[in-house]
This record gives sequence, C-alpha cells and structure tokens, in this order.
Amino acid sequence: MTSAHKVKITYCAECGYEPQTLDLAKTLMLEFGARLSCIELIPWDGGTFDVSVDGELIHSMTRDGGFGDNAAIKEAVRARLPA
Amino acid sequence: MTIDRARFDQGLTYDAYKDQMTRNRERVEENEQRVDLSKEDLAAFRALPRPVKVVVLAEDWCGDVIANLPVLGRLAKDSGKLDVRIFLRDQNDDIMQRYLNKGQFKSIPVFVFFDDAFRELGHWIERPASVTEVRAKRRKEIFAAHPEFGSPDAPVDQLAEDVRVRLQAELAKMRDDTAKFANAEVVRELREIATRVAA
Repeated sequence: MTSAHKVKITYCAECGYEPQTLDLAKTLMLEFGARLSCIELIPWDGGTFDVSVDGELIHSMTRDGGFGDNAAIKEAVRARLPA
Repeated sequence: MTIDRARFDQGLTYDAYKDQMTRNRERVEENEQRVDLSKEDLAAFRALPRPVKVVVLAEDWCGDVIANLPVLGRLAKDSGKLDVRIFLRDQNDDIMQRYLNKGQFKSIPVFVFFDDAFRELGHWIERPASVTEVRAKRRKEIFAAHPEFGSPDAPVDQLAEDVRVRLQAELAKMRDDTAKFANAEVVRELREIATRVAA
C-alpha cells in the first residue's frame, strides 16, 4: 500500500518570506511529484521558517538558522520517503 | 571596517529608504503614526548639543524593522537631532559583520550612534530585551488559557487549521496590546545611547 507523505512549510508572511517558500515548494514539487501527497504552505509570523515531513521538523529557522539549503532540505525529505 | 563621513554619506536617508521599499511601507507609516513620544523624551533629544549620526542596517521584509525603525524615524523628525543613514543589510555585510547579535546572528534593525568625529556612542540591535520578555510571558499565558493551542514550543503546523487561525488572532492581539509598551522601551533605550554624546 502506498502511504501518504505530507510536507508543511510554515513561513513568516509578515516578514515577506514568500519567495523562499515558493522556491522551496517548487524544488520539492519538481523533485518528488506525486510521491508527496501534499505540500501545505502555512502563512505565519514571528520570523518563522519551518519545514516538516509527516509532523517531523526537518528545518527550523529558529533552531537551525536561516532558510536552510534547498538541496539539504530536499535530501532530508527524500530520507523520509520509502526507497 | 570603520564608518567615516564618506561611508556614512552613502547611506539612504529615512525618506529615501521608504521610497525604495518594495513591501510593507504602509505598515511602517502606520507605525510612525502610532509612536507616542513624551514631552520629556523629545526634550532630551532636542537638548542634544549637536546632531547625532545614526547608521542603520535594515531590510523591508523584517518585522522588527517594520516595528522599530519608525520609532527612530519619528525621533529624528520630531527632534531634528538625529542624522539617520540607512544601509540595506544584505548589500552591506561588512557593517553587519561588525554588529552581529550575540556575535553570530544577522539580526536587524541595527542602530549605531556616532558623534561628529564618528566615534561610536553605542549601538542597539533588533528589539529591547524587556519587550522579548513581556511578549514571551504573554505568549505563555495565552497557551495556558487555551489548552487547544497545545505546547508553546511545538511547531504550529501540528495544529488544526481552525485552531491555528484562533492562535494567530490571539498572538496578533497580544502584539497590538503590547505595542505601546514596546515603542516606549525602544525610545528609552535609544535615548540612553544618544545622550552619551559629549556636551
């Protein structure tokens, strides 16, 4: 059975992080296609830029600093998908 | 990296900075209107023996810049004693590297105060610690009063959408409720630095 894998990107809309959010979303869409059941974009505030896969935080601006490297985030997502 | 007259003059005036903003200008100008300067604070700035130069690092997407740069802008405009020049953080990394928050974070805004001879009087980064503390306390209270919001340390993407919307509204109200206190704290801290200028 194929399981559903969901990515959520929570970004600070107040800060204008839309370009980085869309860039990351596009990277993941092109790389994984239908292997991801959903990429959810959540406008938030407070300088947030968090990325999670199935509830597991794989990047956090607060925790890790910055927007993160798209290639590294892509690999972190890949590691959590079935081979 | 040192700031001298030539480098200072390369910065944008407050109005020129606003003119080049690509976003959030209306929020900056709304915050300018909300700044409530006391007679005592204004008198302290107006009593400066000569204008103090202020180098600012900013970007138009940053929430703390949107909140706090207008306070400096109003102080400069209403007192006539602050000569402000603004540098975009991402195009002026040499200045940013000198004023990293805790030696490692590129937090903005940064306000650096100089006397006539470009001797540094002091600098100010991001927001007052007192504001961070008050808002953290209020945030905890909101979470305590609303168990449905879960843990204050948990990522918000774990909340159901309707709960998330309610949390966002509560946090926005909290920031609004504390804005007056925050502005007063910014003025207090900037006044303490600016008035170090020698008589």
